Amino acid sequence: MDMTDNELLPVKLKGVGDSLRVTLDPTQPMELLKKELGKLFERLKHLAINARVIIDPGEQGEHEALIHELGLYLKESFSVGWVTGPPQKKSEEEERVRTRDVAHSFEHHRSDVLFLSGRVRSGQKVHARKHLVILGDVNPGAEIAAGGDIMVMGRLHGSASAGQPANEEAIVLALDFRPSLLQIGNMVAAGSLTAKGERPEFAHIKDGQLIVDDYLSLNPFSKIPWPKTR
Amino acid sequence: MEGKIFVVTSGKGGVGKTTATASIGAAMAMEGKRVAVVDMDIGLRNLDVIMGLENRIVFNVVDAVKGKCKVRQAAIKDRRIDNLFLIPASQSDNKDALTPEGVIRLSKTLRKEFDVVLMDCPAGIERGFENAVAAADEAVVICTPEVSSVRDADRVIGLLYSKSITPKLVINRINPYLVERGDMLSHDDVMEVLSVELLGLVEMDDQVIVSSNIGIPLVMNKDSKAGQAFKRIAMRLNGNSDLPIEIPQYGNGFWRKFSQKIGLSKPRRIHA
Repeated sequence: MDMTDNELLPVKLKGVGDSLRVTLDPTQPMELLKKELGKLFERLKHLAINARVIIDPGEQGEHEALIHELGLYLKESFSVGWVTGPPQKKSEEEERVRTRDVAHSFEHHRSDVLFLSGRVRSGQKVHARKHLVILGDVNPGAEIAAGGDIMVMGRLHGSASAGQPANEEAIVLALDFRPSLLQIGNMVAAGSLTAKGERPEFAHIKDGQLIVDDYLSLNPFSKIPWPKTR
Repeated sequence: MEGKIFVVTSGKGGVGKTTATASIGAAMAMEGKRVAVVDMDIGLRNLDVIMGLENRIVFNVVDAVKGKCKVRQAAIKDRRIDNLFLIPASQSDNKDALTPEGVIRLSKTLRKEFDVVLMDCPAGIERGFENAVAAADEAVVICTPEVSSVRDADRVIGLLYSKSITPKLVINRINPYLVERGDMLSHDDVMEVLSVELLGLVEMDDQVIVSSNIGIPLVMNKDSKAGQAFKRIAMRLNGNSDLPIEIPQYGNGFWRKFSQKIGLSKPRRIHA
């Protein structure tokens, strides 16, 4: 197969792993595409039988119907095994990180979390460069601040500033959520901030507003399909 | 054996530090300890009035620190209770008349002369507090079941911990009726925030005003609930830590317990 000639053609064929990858220009008429595909697959002869074919119409737009029709044509004319669209794009970086995380269970990861236990009392200040976790209570009049998230495994009755100075993705989570003052990034809220009490709650910024929600019923992180570092 | 120095402090004013100091001091002396109570509230002298010793003052604690007199000369002996001594504050100076170093120097003598020294700390967390705390081995934090008092006590407890002193708590002026109705913080609510060792619970008691006006130690009054509570606190401070803590109750308690059990009345929750 002369690959250099393929560059100018509306349909290109390439062997990738255990499958054949067909790259085509979806703007061309169906008849032309079928003709060009036919030419290429004829040359393959018996290699096309039961082959796995990936049809890649390029990045933009939906081409389900096109892939379906070309798939039928290839199956009838050349007895190929499977025809699918291009696999979902995933970044190589992301894949590398995930594989590594699972293989080594995050052992390479150096954490920036300030993890404290004990009671933070009135008049005391705790500042964490990144995330802050406190196993204990934060009393009224105490001030805690973090560059990232704040988690209080106990009562949060003092003032809490997460995402300092400007991280609006940060959250403040507490088992008993009743802060006297709350800040995430540049947004500040004061007053009775608890939604219901009794259950773990968290504050986050949604649509430019600082809101408090029940953590268990609206766990925003449960939607992330893969564990990742924060 | 060297004597022990306790500081009685609270952060907030008017919660009963001076009354507690006088009462605990008197109770400890009645148990046979040689006790000195020291008024560290320089410029706002009160402890002598509460103890009924105001007209016997010659020297004061500032004189003793500055070496103008001996500790024995400044210590006024109580005539009703043996082994109880008062070292009064100066009324004409201010808090800057003393330094923490000076107090530490004085405390060396105090430890030799007495079994127990109680320092009555002024309100606030500035110089006066620093002076009173400088030489203390242990601290008694007084707090009332009010949000503002709890907040200040919390701050003071934090400061004491930073000075490696583990404080113990007395909750003063509990009104069991209001607690019962849910209109006053219960001692559980206070302990939830402060979480330090509890020394005792003192009920609101009119006898406190009466006895401080006439200068008779509260603990000598057998009818005073507050006086008896302070007596038990003194025993616990003396190392009798097994003494159970009595919780002030409103009424005879039977109907309350009964109705709580069947779910008729449930104490309302206030947040400290």
